[in-house]
Amino acid sequence: MNRPEPAPSGAFPAAPPAEKPMPIIELAGVSKRFEPPRGAPAVDALRDVTLSIDQGSFVVLLGPSGCGKTTLLRLVDGLLPPDSGSVRVFGRAPVPGPGMGFVFQSFRLVPWSTVRGNVEFALAGTGLDRAARRERAEHYLELVGLARFASAYPGELSGGMKQRAALARALAPEPEILLMDEPFASIDAQTRELMQAELMRLWALRRSVVLFVTHSVDEAILLADRVVLMGPRPGRILEAIEVELPRPRWRYDVRAEPRFIELRAYLWNRIRELVLSDENSDFFGRSRDF
Amino acid sequence: MTIAIERLLILAGILAVWWAAAFHYGPTVVPDPPATLAAGRRLAADGTLLAALGDSALVYLSGYLAAAAAAVPLGLAMGAAGRLGKAFEPYVYALAATPRVAFVPLVIVLLGLGVEAKVFIVFLGAIMPILVNTYAGVLAADDELVEMARSTGAGKLRIFLHIVLPGALPFVVAGLRLGATIGLINTVVAELYTAVQGLGGLLALYGNTFRMAEYFAIVITLAFAGVAVTEGLRLVEQRFARWRTR
Repeated sequence: MNRPEPAPSGAFPAAPPAEKPMPIIELAGVSKRFEPPRGAPAVDALRDVTLSIDQGSFVVLLGPSGCGKTTLLRLVDGLLPPDSGSVRVFGRAPVPGPGMGFVFQSFRLVPWSTVRGNVEFALAGTGLDRAARRERAEHYLELVGLARFASAYPGELSGGMKQRAALARALAPEPEILLMDEPFASIDAQTRELMQAELMRLWALRRSVVLFVTHSVDEAILLADRVVLMGPRPGRILEAIEVELPRPRWRYDVRAEPRFIELRAYLWNRIRELVLSDENSDFFGRSRDF
Repeated sequence: MTIAIERLLILAGILAVWWAAAFHYGPTVVPDPPATLAAGRRLAADGTLLAALGDSALVYLSGYLAAAAAAVPLGLAMGAAGRLGKAFEPYVYALAATPRVAFVPLVIVLLGLGVEAKVFIVFLGAIMPILVNTYAGVLAADDELVEMARSTGAGKLRIFLHIVLPGALPFVVAGLRLGATIGLINTVVAELYTAVQGLGGLLALYGNTFRMAEYFAIVITLAFAGVAVTEGLRLVEQRFARWRTR
């Protein structure tokens, strides 16, 4: 952790003067199980997950479907309570609100509100007055390049523009934590690359904690300070890998770096093993060298 | 623009069928279009039509507006009440499925044959489709948007006002349109079964005395009233759904 401390703007305790920064998010022995209706077997979404995330770091949760990545985000946001174990954000049980921004895969823009209205919606809990909310919304729409579409309705936007609007909505309250649930998974490949660079640029402007879920190995290595590899059934953390590739990573061809290629090969193999040995996967029992 | 031409052609077809029927059955059963038009003009000129239209409109609008004013809040409350709303559900659906005309004799016993009874019969007809649709609209709330709102820290009331209610609006309007049509039917039913009055009353009068040209003029007036009401509500619906058409 050799990057400068960002200016704290929220109401969280200042970091202690110790060498090691205080963890912002702490999960200790967290388990979550879902009981589906009609007697289907219960799903162990997460079992005994322990994770600690420091100020200003970009952590990517990587793993095949069904490994509880999304559940973990919901637990951190306080949208779900854990069955056992403890979830602490800024040392307290998390409460959803302007301190944390959530970006969803399916955008989740309010269709009957304009783009500006959607961004302002997330500012209700910030204590800003009407004019300040408007100004803040305009500012973040400008940052994501949607200023011209502030008065448009979400239905008039392309997929990439919708996700930029959703990103502006999540960033506008200036949260200390940004939770992103496969935000670029339903966007075409071309736009996805631009959005990844856009996200890195925005994050360089204001370094919050980012907890980013993906099942794309490339995306994980490209964005992360730390890749947390998760496995399915029960959802659990397998290992965490530091990605030391220098930033800003949009300035050079990061995919050509030997370290990138090495990490990519390693993570690919780990995930393939997971999928082939998971009896609920479509690829269970296939030959190892297909 | 072509649709207007096609519609005119269909109208011409309807008139042709009508004319053929008039020719086949003779003017004592089916009057031809000019005779009907002449009768309509006569009724309009001596004020009969306007007076009846006024009586019917009063009954219709009072009953319908009362139904809307009761059904929308009730449907919202039922949807918002969760378990309690679900408990009421089978009874509400049972009442919605019962032909409301079945209650006419009871209403007459309770309220007599006057305006109150008529308004109540319209109210009974219109309330259930509005209530059931409003309830369905609240239940159909987009869970993903609700979770998004929760993640911004929105409380229950804010989620209801900003996410659930606007989402339910198209259902409410669909219910209002259904209720408007059934309310119109019940207006005529009420005027036929209770004190004979309004457009329904004229139907009974001319039908029973075989003045078929006048009778047909009233039927066509009712058809126009129905079109006016549903078209009006369609315009209201479009206004509320600008985000979808733009």
